[in-house]
Amino acid sequence: MDAFLPLFLQQLINGLSLGAIYALIAIGYTMVYGIIGMINFAHGEIYMIGAYVGLITLTAIGAASGLPPWMLVAAALVVAVIVTSSYGWAVERCAYRSLRNSPRLVPLISAIGMSIFFQNYVVVLHTSRDLPVPDLITGHLFSVDIGGFEVSMSNSRALILFATVVLMAAVTLYIRHARMGRACRACSQDIQMAGLLGIDVNKVISFTFVLGAFLAAIGGVLIGLSINKINPFIGFLAGIKAFTAAVLGGIGSIPGAMLGGALLGLVETFASAFLPTEYKDIVSFGLLIVILLIRPSGLLGRPEVEKV
Amino acid sequence: MREQIKTKILKDAFIAAAVTAILTVPMIGLRLNVESTGLVLHKNFLWPAVAAAVVFVARLVIPFVLIPKVSVPAAWTQKAGDYKKWWVGALIVLAIAWPFTLLGGGSMLTAVTMAMVYIMLALGLNIVVGYAGLLDLGHAAFYAIGAYTYALLNANFDLGFWAALPLAGLSAALFGVLLGFPVLRLRGDYLAIVTLGFGEIVRILLNNWDSLTHGPDGINNIAKPTLFGFEITKRARVEDASTLWQTLGIDYSNVYQQIILYFIALFLVVITAFLINRLVKMPIGRAWEALREDEIACRSLALNPTVIKLTAFSLGSMFAGFAGAFYAAFIGSVTPDSFGFIESAIILSIVVLGGMGSQRGVILAALVLTLLPEFARGFAEYRMLVFGAVMVLMMIWRPQGLWPASRRRVELPS
Amino acid sequence: MKLQKTVVAAALAVGMMLVGGSALAADGTIKVAVASAITGPVAQYGDMHRAGIHMAVEQANAAGGVLGKKIELVEMDDACEPKQSPAVANKVVSEKIKFVLGHVCSGAFKPAAQIYDENDILMISSSATSDDLSTYGYKTFFRTIGKDSQQGPAAADYIINKIKPKKLAIIHDKQTYGQGVATQVKNTVEKHGMKPVMFEGINKGDTDFSALITKMKQAGVDFVYYGGYHPELIILLRQARDQNLGARWMGPEGAAVSDVKGESAEGLLVTLPPDFSKDPSNAKIVEAFKAKKQDASGVFVMTSYAAAQVLMEAIKGAQSEDPKKVAAYMHKNKFKTVLGDVEFTPEGDWATARFDIFVWHKDASKTLAP
Repeated sequence: MDAFLPLFLQQLINGLSLGAIYALIAIGYTMVYGIIGMINFAHGEIYMIGAYVGLITLTAIGAASGLPPWMLVAAALVVAVIVTSSYGWAVERCAYRSLRNSPRLVPLISAIGMSIFFQNYVVVLHTSRDLPVPDLITGHLFSVDIGGFEVSMSNSRALILFATVVLMAAVTLYIRHARMGRACRACSQDIQMAGLLGIDVNKVISFTFVLGAFLAAIGGVLIGLSINKINPFIGFLAGIKAFTAAVLGGIGSIPGAMLGGALLGLVETFASAFLPTEYKDIVSFGLLIVILLIRPSGLLGRPEVEKV
Repeated sequence: MREQIKTKILKDAFIAAAVTAILTVPMIGLRLNVESTGLVLHKNFLWPAVAAAVVFVARLVIPFVLIPKVSVPAAWTQKAGDYKKWWVGALIVLAIAWPFTLLGGGSMLTAVTMAMVYIMLALGLNIVVGYAGLLDLGHAAFYAIGAYTYALLNANFDLGFWAALPLAGLSAALFGVLLGFPVLRLRGDYLAIVTLGFGEIVRILLNNWDSLTHGPDGINNIAKPTLFGFEITKRARVEDASTLWQTLGIDYSNVYQQIILYFIALFLVVITAFLINRLVKMPIGRAWEALREDEIACRSLALNPTVIKLTAFSLGSMFAGFAGAFYAAFIGSVTPDSFGFIESAIILSIVVLGGMGSQRGVILAALVLTLLPEFARGFAEYRMLVFGAVMVLMMIWRPQGLWPASRRRVELPS
Repeated sequence: MKLQKTVVAAALAVGMMLVGGSALAADGTIKVAVASAITGPVAQYGDMHRAGIHMAVEQANAAGGVLGKKIELVEMDDACEPKQSPAVANKVVSEKIKFVLGHVCSGAFKPAAQIYDENDILMISSSATSDDLSTYGYKTFFRTIGKDSQQGPAAADYIINKIKPKKLAIIHDKQTYGQGVATQVKNTVEKHGMKPVMFEGINKGDTDFSALITKMKQAGVDFVYYGGYHPELIILLRQARDQNLGARWMGPEGAAVSDVKGESAEGLLVTLPPDFSKDPSNAKIVEAFKAKKQDASGVFVMTSYAAAQVLMEAIKGAQSEDPKKVAAYMHKNKFKTVLGDVEFTPEGDWATARFDIFVWHKDASKTLAP
């Protein structure tokens, strides 16, 4: 029993920092879904592009330029956010806007096509190999011995967790209080009514794509720095997991995406702590199915009302 | 007023060009590559400049030439009466005739046979998505179950293809019922993610259950289908059995074998299309469509939604099971990796691209989507890029599908 | 009207199929298919594979070719997917190509090999290590690389005799290759009475293994054998360092690529075919690679070079382009290659395949392990 607490703490840290990335990506899914009711399957690819732009920036400035690591990281984040947000905006403008009133499946297929396109776009431009990301964030935030077991958290993981918490708080406040945030909420309630009341619906939809890409870009840069390599295929799996997290929490709900992300991260971590690691995805998808059977709209989702 | 419009167009064009520059300068202008010295950045800003210039000019010109939005003439979707039976006959004759032009050696047979597998899969999924309106992102799971059913029966009990085929369909249908029963009360996209999760669970189980499925190695050396009891491989699997070639007294050739496999696939496709064509005209088929349009109205008319959905789901799965069994026999080996999420996504794309609820559209789309990458093989790494772009463009230009169903439908914007 | 248009379009598409793919070899060349991975996540192995083959063939062609004919390489891509490789194999058959260099990955090779065998096409892989491949009795199958059952025990012997870990963990990536090698290691150490405390698979493509690392730390693991390709290994190493796991790691040759580098890679042990690029008699060839900005020390570069060498020598020796005769010649003779003298077993395996243990360093260089 002695060894349980430190072990539990360590796995908690592992799970939360994994869940943080899921949550960052899940916001993009959930907001787009909340407003136009579409699953943006290309969102995972946006995250991957964020990671690539970050690495391109780092390489362009050059790790040898003598700048302190935090400035390099900051530069990578800023450039990645700008470029990736533009990608988010452009995707909506080119691939989805004209499909807004088509049957639900049409934009979904367009998004799957977009996802295949982006994966191969990056393959063609930057090869399909793993690219090494410089190890800029080293060291540990803390490393303490509890009951003979060393519980530690590396700085790169701490940064992911910290950035996620700050961004989540900012997004929540923004959606709650800012003018654009209110417009978003209005659109997710009733997009036609919002339009009639003078809200520029196109702008709101563009905004959700940009915000989603913004958060995904930060997630992408930070994960690249944390695992020291990226390839064009990282977006796919992360996208599916983040989408699962969004549905788990109740798709369309922002707090739901955060909760879903954290929960999925923790479930995966504890599943691989107590079971053979190869079964952890079965546990997380199994949990998803069970939760949806009990609460068909996810944990915090609005129950769908059947209109006659 | 005109001046104002002109400045607005100019401004728009500038913004568009600037965004293009932001999009392309880092991703296309600066390319990463790993060389022996480490990560290297190649700079070449020609393409971003060209892209930005093109966008700028296009944005300037487009408002003046205003391309009329391509809309589908009503005649396309309403000419139900024009759908003549003899087209079907002519196509089947064409499908039977063309392999013989390849006797000298053509490489398209494998690709077209593979396309037949996708036609079967997509026709099955079309029942679920197109007719019953249930969004299913895990169709590959039933495909996998069908393939593994035949592979395991063949490896462990030496069961032949034709004996195992119904069993493969049956086991896929059974799993369809097992999954469908609890989850079919979920709506729309929640159902989609549950089916996606189920698909992943099946794949992971197949990968982890080493004692039964041999894990990632999969099952190899699966018997090819027989033709009227004769083996079509070069050497018979059973010692004293004679192959088709020995019986006919001709030399074995890979092309002959490929042609026979193609015909078996064609036969299965025709049967599948025929059965589904009949099914949708039966009361159950009508019920699927009624359910898709309005579930509450269905309930008021004393139709049981759960039973109707279950039949659609299990029938769709059954055809996927048949396709899986044929795939296993055709390729000769199955591995869990062949049944990932991307397969489900491609099958769904075929259904939507062809036109939901339209059998001929689905068949056409399956041919296009599976043969396009083959034709594009010459482009090597560009082929999947083109594939993705075609999917997006198709949805923009023909959201109703390549060859939509002829019956008139009304969709309310959601 | 419109309906007819669609049908016309469909007919045109069919017409295109008929025309496509009937280009035959120009006389005076010997066509050799290079079945490689040009796309997909492990395209890097394909890069090494093609680099080696192209170099060997270019040099031979410059020296006058084989039997007075030039070798013409036909590139094929299976992306290391078993779904795509039969299409490649059938393409090889229908284009009447008699020799295949490849495939790269064992999983994709299996369904293709069956087709080559039925059509008497000679195949030489320089990177597929799965034991299964040589158990099917294919008469035209050869490889210029060792197999898992040679590599696994070599690693296991080193672990038992040199490392003597207290607690050994064996991790693999649930892929044909990774799980195959890892199982070989497990079986061998267990035969010698060492019981691994952990034998687990991870998911390919995952980016977070910290839970597994914590589990290993809890179990007090001091040595980890990882069976799999490099992408996951890089992350495992990094996350192990993050949590100060303090164990030493070992991997198969698929883990030894230049991407594995940095602080966390220092001291990693790998089983590799001997480094033929260091062999002084190969200096000229290494220079030629350098001139093309390619790295001759990549795991499969020299083995692929040798595969092409063996093929060309055998065609010369058999004085024939008949793959059956060439195969028979290959079974009987010894070939002088960049790998030294190569002979084949009746199953087509490289008779004297050998794996050395190397220590990997943070700049992706390697030295022979003590």
